[in-house]
Amino acid sequence: MAVILKLDGVSKSFARVETNDITTALAEVNLEMKSGEFISLVGTSGCGKSTMLRLIAGLIQPTTGKLTVNGEEITGTSPSRGMMFQTHTLFPWLTVEKNIAFADRMQGKHKEKASIDEVNRMLKVIALDNFRKDYPAQLSGGMQQRVALARTLICKPEILLLDEPLGALDSFTRMNMQDEILNLWKENKQLVIMVTHDVDEAIYMGTKVLVMEAHPGRINAAIDIDLEYPRNRASSKFVEYRRQILDMLHFGHKED
Amino acid sequence: MEKTPLKNGKYNEDAKSSGKLTREQLLELEERDKTPRQKLFDKIITALPILMAAIALAEYLILPDLNPNPMPHIYTCIMAGVLVVYTLSVLVGLFKEKNGDKKLIRKLRYSAPLYTVILLILTAYDYATIKTNIFTYPLVPCVNNILYAGYTDAATLANCALHTLKLMFEGYALGVILGLITGITCGYSQKVNYWVDPIIKFLGPIPISTWIPIIMVFMSGALDLSALFIIVIGVWTAVTNASRAGVANIDKAYFDAAKILGASERQLIFKVAIPCAMPNIMAGMTQGMMTACTAIMVAEMMGVKAGLGWYITWVKSWALYNSMFASLIIICLIFTFVTKLLNIVKKRVLRWQIGVTK
Repeated sequence: MAVILKLDGVSKSFARVETNDITTALAEVNLEMKSGEFISLVGTSGCGKSTMLRLIAGLIQPTTGKLTVNGEEITGTSPSRGMMFQTHTLFPWLTVEKNIAFADRMQGKHKEKASIDEVNRMLKVIALDNFRKDYPAQLSGGMQQRVALARTLICKPEILLLDEPLGALDSFTRMNMQDEILNLWKENKQLVIMVTHDVDEAIYMGTKVLVMEAHPGRINAAIDIDLEYPRNRASSKFVEYRRQILDMLHFGHKED
Repeated sequence: MEKTPLKNGKYNEDAKSSGKLTREQLLELEERDKTPRQKLFDKIITALPILMAAIALAEYLILPDLNPNPMPHIYTCIMAGVLVVYTLSVLVGLFKEKNGDKKLIRKLRYSAPLYTVILLILTAYDYATIKTNIFTYPLVPCVNNILYAGYTDAATLANCALHTLKLMFEGYALGVILGLITGITCGYSQKVNYWVDPIIKFLGPIPISTWIPIIMVFMSGALDLSALFIIVIGVWTAVTNASRAGVANIDKAYFDAAKILGASERQLIFKVAIPCAMPNIMAGMTQGMMTACTAIMVAEMMGVKAGLGWYITWVKSWALYNSMFASLIIICLIFTFVTKLLNIVKKRVLRWQIGVTK
């Protein structure tokens, strides 16, 4: 089912406990995104990338404005808006398979055959069939993030929110995971919104890159990435996109 | 999987073809070969407890007793039992080793030095008491005297032990349940914590024994109930503190993740907060157990008219030192037993932590 996610004049402010100051994390964002898009959010820290994801997830409520999915306002979390975090957040007391089945367990249907089959399928997709009885602490960082991905995807989310999910991984595992996520996205055509610090990753994966700026957090530019998948990180067009985005983030070469 | 004997670190063909090793075989493969001298040394150490038990028996039976020693053969029987059981274990261990299973013999080799020293101490103690009176009789009775005292007063001791166990279990269970309820709700809700925190801060530092006179005054007559109350307070504070800290320190990301996966408010508590705080909760329960052990003894020694704590003060007033030591041994056994039981529970509940604390 195709979904349209709309942000109408959304802003979010936080009150600081110690100083009583108000920090505007996000100011007046208007956006529209739909299924099949892969949106990369880049920007320096403090520009409100994560705040935006948490708003869409329903973990926090906007100060002003409205977020809607197909016209329905977001008031809380929902498994149809899955989210992956920078840390894997797997429950350390549950085995791999129980972690994956967590959402079903919450609905009390983890013992149904459909649920068990789906967990088995997911374990195959992430190629961790042999580790199903292991605890998260026994896995490597890449494996942990794969389990976290499976745990999110088993709910078949229409919107997948990725909050720097690959940030903690080494570069080889990271590149593998990028391809794995892209493959899953191409299969299911959800709307994916990914926060990243890595401009290369943003261009490599996204259909669109949103460049954000801080103080107050806002969207500076939306750049459609017009490249075929799988993308070549060394192609001249790719390099051009990178230069353009880095310029916007004020990391360009001053002498040019 | 079939057991494959592996010799001297050489990779056995069977193990290779099946591709799987047991943990033990892996350890054996990685272990360096032992020199003949080391092997001989291992054998001697493993055999030492047999020798030591024999010496203990000889010392006890051959040297003459200086003090009265009714039913002298309780100690003989126990020591002989130790000798026989250990010798049999070694024989079984050797037999199993021949068939490729080295577990038992390794275990015996590991424990042998400890057993030897314990037997040595027992022998020395027996020599210093009944054989030479280096320790004065009857203040320090010999082992057989203690065993005899326990044997003659077995019925009373058993009754007392049961009474102690029952009271302790009731107090502990009640304290843990109440402690979990307050601890978890406090960790979870600032509002509840606002009211409970001062109570804990106020009651927590008061040593358990201080309560006794106060409670005795208020609950005169209901001695068991006062003892129960004291245990409950001690356990409650320990468990509340630990589980509160456990819940309050949970990484908020777990709650976020669970919420996104559709957990309800109730499920956040029962399926996330409690399991996540389990290590702390178990630590609190262990500490609570220690408090309960102290509390029950103090309560029984100071007021309650039954139980092992009462027994030990009662026999002391009759100068029955043998019985005093006998009850001390039983107290030690009981507390070791309950602590062990709790440890088994802990290991089972915190199985997932084994990987974490490598």
